[in-house]
Formats: sequence, C-alpha cells, structure tokens
Amino acid sequence: MTVLRPKNAAEVAATLRETNGPVRLIGSGSQQDRLPAAPDAVRIELAGLDAIERFDAGDQTCTVGPGTTLAAIQAAAEAENLGLPCALPQTGTAGNTAGGLFANDPIGALTAGGPTPRSSLLGIDAVLADGAEFRSGARVTKSVAGFDLHKLFVGSRGRLFAVTRLHLRLKPLPRSTRWFRCEPQPIADALARFQTLRGLPAPPAAVHLVRDGNGSPHCRVVGRFEGRESFVNAMHRTHELPPGEPITRLLLTPTPGGEVLAGILRPSRTTDLLALTNDDSAFILHGGGRFELATPNAAASDALLQQLPELGGHATIVAGEPTRRGTGTPIDPGQQRLSEELSRKLDPDGKLV
Amino acid sequence: MGSIQDRLTKLLGRDRVLHSPDALLAWECDGFTVHRGRPLAVVLPDSTAEVQAVLQLLHAAEVPFVPRGAGTCLSGGPTAAGDAVVVDCSRMRRVLEVSTVDLYAIVEPGVVNLDLTTAVHEHGLHYAPDPSSQSVCTIGGNLAENSGGPHCFKYGMTTDHVLGALVVLPDGSLARLGDTAGPRAPHGLDLAGVFTGSEGTFGIATEITVRLSRDPEAIRTLLASFSTMADACRTVSDIVAAGLVPAALEILDRATIRAVEASVYRAGYPEDAAAVLLVELDGPELVVAEETEEIAAITQRHDALRLEEASDPKERKRLWKGRKGAFGAMGRLNTDLYVLDGVVPRTRLEDALNGIEAIAQRYEVVLTNVFHAGDGNLHPNISFDGRDPEQVKRVVAAGKEILELCVELGGSITGEHGVGTEKIDHVPMMFRESDLEVMARVRGVFDPTGRCNPGKAIPERNACAEPAKWPQMVARVLDETEETFGPDGGRAP
Repeated sequence: MTVLRPKNAAEVAATLRETNGPVRLIGSGSQQDRLPAAPDAVRIELAGLDAIERFDAGDQTCTVGPGTTLAAIQAAAEAENLGLPCALPQTGTAGNTAGGLFANDPIGALTAGGPTPRSSLLGIDAVLADGAEFRSGARVTKSVAGFDLHKLFVGSRGRLFAVTRLHLRLKPLPRSTRWFRCEPQPIADALARFQTLRGLPAPPAAVHLVRDGNGSPHCRVVGRFEGRESFVNAMHRTHELPPGEPITRLLLTPTPGGEVLAGILRPSRTTDLLALTNDDSAFILHGGGRFELATPNAAASDALLQQLPELGGHATIVAGEPTRRGTGTPIDPGQQRLSEELSRKLDPDGKLV
Repeated sequence: MGSIQDRLTKLLGRDRVLHSPDALLAWECDGFTVHRGRPLAVVLPDSTAEVQAVLQLLHAAEVPFVPRGAGTCLSGGPTAAGDAVVVDCSRMRRVLEVSTVDLYAIVEPGVVNLDLTTAVHEHGLHYAPDPSSQSVCTIGGNLAENSGGPHCFKYGMTTDHVLGALVVLPDGSLARLGDTAGPRAPHGLDLAGVFTGSEGTFGIATEITVRLSRDPEAIRTLLASFSTMADACRTVSDIVAAGLVPAALEILDRATIRAVEASVYRAGYPEDAAAVLLVELDGPELVVAEETEEIAAITQRHDALRLEEASDPKERKRLWKGRKGAFGAMGRLNTDLYVLDGVVPRTRLEDALNGIEAIAQRYEVVLTNVFHAGDGNLHPNISFDGRDPEQVKRVVAAGKEILELCVELGGSITGEHGVGTEKIDHVPMMFRESDLEVMARVRGVFDPTGRCNPGKAIPERNACAEPAKWPQMVARVLDETEETFGPDGGRAP
C-alpha cells in the first residue's frame, strides 16, 4: 500500500496531480473502517496539515488545516471559553481530525435544529483531483458570495476534492452542562419522552434515544441540557430527568457477522422502523434525526434498505463486510444524476474513491 | 411555429403570459433599482408541472430565463436582460404540508416568508429566517439568495433551515434534493446545500421543505443609546465575549436615527445619540431575565446614555419599527438609495466604520449605517440623486471601495443580499479565476447551457445574455411600505 503524506496545500496539489489511479484521502484514518473498501488506492494522509492557522476569539472563528486534531481545536477554543459547536464522532477519540469530521459528518445534529458540521463550516481551501486549487466561502460567519462549494465537502467522504484549509465557526462554552439518563422504557414511552424533549422551545443541547442491544427491547433517553445553571436545573426539575453519565458511544459497532446502518428518518417514524428490526438490535437515534442501527446479518440490512424509503428515510451500510459498506437506499433519480455529473465534473478520471 | 411569447401563451393562457411593454414595467428591476432590464416576457406558472413545461419550452427554443419571487432582492438577482423570460413564481403560494411533530413545512416558492410563520403560529411555531422584507419576500427567493435577517445571528441563515427542495432543472427535468428528514442522505451529497444561495442560477425550486422552530417562551427587546459609535460597537463585543447570544444585535447610526425620526417610521429613538443598539433576547423566561440584567450592566460599562426596555408587544413593535423602516426613511435624504451589504469580522467593526466614513467623505456622498452588529454584516446606505450621472459615478466608486475595505479586513462583499448583477464585477475581490472556474463547473452540472439566470452570482466568460449594466436608468428610492408585523406583535422586522 502506498502512503503519501503531504505537508501543505502545494504538496497536496502536486501529490494529487502526480498520482495515477485511485486515491483515498485520509485524516487520522479513524473512520476508514466505516467507508467502502479501497484496497488498491494510494492513501494520501492529510494529518500533516495540522496547523491552527488563525484563531479569532472575538469573532469566534478559526482557520485550521484538515489534519488538525479535534482535541487540539477544542483545547485552543476552551482556552478562550469557546468550543466547536458540532458533535464530535466519539468521546475519547482524540486523534480524530477536523478534515475527517467534516468529510464524514457521521452524526449530524445532536438536537432538533442544533449545530452540525455543515453549519459550523464557513469556508474552505481545496484541491481537485487534477491538482487545481480553489476556495469557497469566507472566514467570517456570514457570506453569500460565490457558490457554497464547501457544503459539498460535508459528508462527501473525500470523493469530490481534498480540503487543505477549513474556516470554522466557534461558540461560547455553556456556563453549565448537566447530563440526564432515563431508565429504559418500552419504546413508545421512550420515544414520547424523546419527542417531548426535542420539541421544547429550548431543547436539550443533545438528546439520544438508545437501545443497547443487550437483549432488552427497551430504550432509554439520554442527553444534556446546557446554558445558565438556573435553566439547566429548571429543565431537569420540570421534566423529572435523572442525572446520569455522559453518553460515550455515538457510533455503533457491528456484532460478529452483523452490520451497522447509518440513516436519517423523521423521528415520528421511529416506531415503524424499529418494528422492522429484531427487538434486541442496538439502536441510537440522535435528536437531529440521524440514527444508527445494528443488524444481525446482510440479509436483514438489505431488507431494511428496501423498506426504509417507504418510511421516508435513507440509510447506508457503514460497518460490516468492507465490500458492502456504502451500499444504501436508492436516491432520487434526478439527484443521483446530478451527483454523478458533479463527480465527473470535479474528478473526471474518477481518481478519488 | 410562432414567437416564444405565442408559444408560452398557448401553454399558460393569455392572462399568465405578459409581454406588452407597459405590462413588463413592474419586472424591470428588483429592490436594486439601479440595474434595469425589460424581459422578453413574464410567465406566471401555477404548479411544478407548469414550471416544467415552461422550462422545457424555453430549453428547446434556447431562450434564457430568470426565476423570480417577489422581486425584493437588493442585488439585481431577478433582473432580466432583453432576451430572457422571467419565470415569476409568486402565484405558487400554497403551504402544502405542516408537521407539528417533526417540525417541518413543505411550501411552494411563492409563499411569503411571514405568511408561513402566520400559518403555523397557532401551533406555537415559526419560520426563523426573517429578512427585513419578510412581509413581502418569498421563501423561493429566500432559498435562492440564502437570505439572512436580524435574527440570523442566533438562528442562522436560510440554508440552516432548508431541509430539501423539489427542483425543476433548466432543461425541465426534476430532481429532489434533500428530504423532510434532512438535507442530505448519509450516503449522498449535500446538493440542497449548494443549491441554496445559488441565486437562481441552478434551477427553480417548486416545493421547499423548511424546518420550523418552536416559539420562544419569552422575548425582551432593549434599546441602548450611546454618545459614540465606538461605545455601541464595544458593547456588542462585550456582549458576545460574555458568551451571550441574543436573537438580534442591531445598530443604527446618528444619521439613520434622524432620518427615521423625521419619517413615518418614527420610533422615539433619541436624536442626541450617535448610535442606538437594539438587542433582542429570547428563550426561557428565567434565562431572558438574567441576560437582560447582564446586558444592562454591559451597556452601563460603556456609558450608555439610556437603556429602554419594551414593556409589552406594542412597545416592542415600536422599537423595531425604526429599524424596519430605516431603509424607507432614507427616502427623505434623496431620490435614490444604494444599500451595501459588506461583512467584516465583528472585531473589526470599528475599523470598518471609520474606513467607510473616510471613503464617504472622500467621495462626498451622503452615507448612513444600519447593520447587523452581531455578525459584522454592514449595510452602508448611500443616498444620491440618480438623475445626476456625476453623483452616480461617485456612488459606484465609493461602494466599490467600501467592499474592498471589507475584504481587506477579512470579510465578504455580501452577507445576505447576494451578488446579483450589482456586485458581479466585485466577485474577483474575493475569488480568483481558479475558484470561479470550479464554481462554473458546478453551475454547469445543474445548467449546462448557462441559460438559467445568466450573468448573476459569478462572472461568466460565455454568458448567453449580458447582465444589465448600471447605471442605465434613474434609480428610485427603495420605499418600503409599512411592514406588516408578525402575529406575535413583531417577531420579525
């Protein structure tokens, strides 16, 4: 396996220009086991572009290289009483990079209308597969000049272009944070509580509906309120939320022989989705509408992928047999055509995989 | 085969295809009245199928077209040149679906922004993006321009509230981007994101799915007045530095205050102040109460002359009235108004305002400032007489220099009004040829022939139609009519 490690944008451009055949762009590599396999691809690791180039605490923005770790950004931000507002993929994965987070966007929003990688990314500098450099967006929190090509980066898994610089929005750290963890309940009750919380005028900063996959069909609601202490206390009191430990597992891992689907669904259809699954399969629904669901085998995944569009949802296999990762529900034909054409326009040789 | 007008008339009927010169007058420009261009015709489709049929016909005839909502855009986005047909979506104003559980609405593009909030108000919901023109502007136009508004400091721009859209592409084919569950499937690309803000150059959205937000429990509106603009700006910096996120942070300068107070938009702003800062807080009652106290203390630290709090919805409406009517009030200053839309990092607001003042003096133009201080989005307004070519020349030059200053300070040439035709020549201040080449490639995915709103958003090398060049015709003052306030007494300015 060939691994190339450019250190700056010019090297990324040169590397891409000079590399023939399939290329896989990589940050820390922590998400690679959730992407379609690319065994023959040259790996271009962007971890070397790891500088925090600009940090403007007053404007609550910063500019970082794609290889900058989320831990480094958080540390710099916390020193100024700020934080990266969007959800981080997993607690304790300090090596995850900014580029990887935005390229994969594995979680979306943690609450209804909450911040996402999409809403936190203000602009980018990037390189096409042929080495052509371009930029999109701006470093200020508001700009509508030019087309928002940076939005195409979010969730693209590096299939369209390589990013060499990201302009990010930061947010003030909350004055108080308190987690709650409700006891497991039948799904209908847990879902009702989940919907009530996410539908509040001031919803929790994070809310998740979780089924552990330990044999029990029951689900529990976990989350956190943030803000002024008086507000956080009042919310816990009003909604009778028992305090609890923070959730540490936002992404599921498959059981032996099983797979994990990552999807998106209107929360009101959750019961319908779970009715299609085994009672004991692990499941997590985030407040923003994204979910992960463990299936016992490929056949179960395929059945779900077939049925999900009828519920108005979409999903893709993110964990399991490498060749099956990336298989997903059919996308609207018009959107599919545009997506394919976009890939052709930006990467005519289909180099980025 | 008849003329294109005849064929369109055959498709939609005589009353929904306009092409006589007098009938086209109202479509010659948008809110940016300096650029004008009379379209070949205006069509008024009523459904997705009709939009498809119109675009298929125009595609086959190789006729460019310009999508249009209410025409409140301030950058010439929906202004057509002579060989283009305007596709006016203002008749498509149905709210197709509302989910009070999953918190979304599906609307047609001609639905007026404030009408959507009115439609869902009984459920304790609202649509958050609130451009100043929200009582007349449409959701379709908001989508095309990625509109902002005073409350986007806290709630984000239109793009943060668009979940998806059914789009008619320039060849008449359909694509569904995003969905009620979200703008992007986990294995898909964010096409809804790149479509939003494309200034009508990618196609026409005929069904738009937007996120709805719960009404806040409490709203408090404060007006602080200051003897210097610097004090007002520093107050904003300290509010933000304290970790507070008000729903709105708006500043009006002395000249604007005086224009407002002399107009029908009179709001009781102190005329001795160099600046007033309008702060709106929303959220849980107890939070808003605590934040109000904190903000009062910050304004006192910066020697506020006075701090006024709206005690009821009527008072709140009054405080917002001056801000909402500010552009209309400028009509007292001269016959024409050029509204700029530059952005600077919030930390550079003072530098930007000082620089803008120097530019205004150098070019001897009358300039007032109203701006979204929270996100550094400036609206320097130049009042002038468009009948005087020499004045127009100075206004154009001053405007260009102001935008150059914004970019030099690390900002943008436009925060919410879009590039349109107005700033098309200024795009290279921010983007290199290589950036624009990639943007053109993406545009070509949606519109390979370049006939969808040509000459807008990014400079084109092979445009099908030349954008209207300004100054072409006498501009008229953007005279906003009395705003219809929100159902809760003025949620939206």
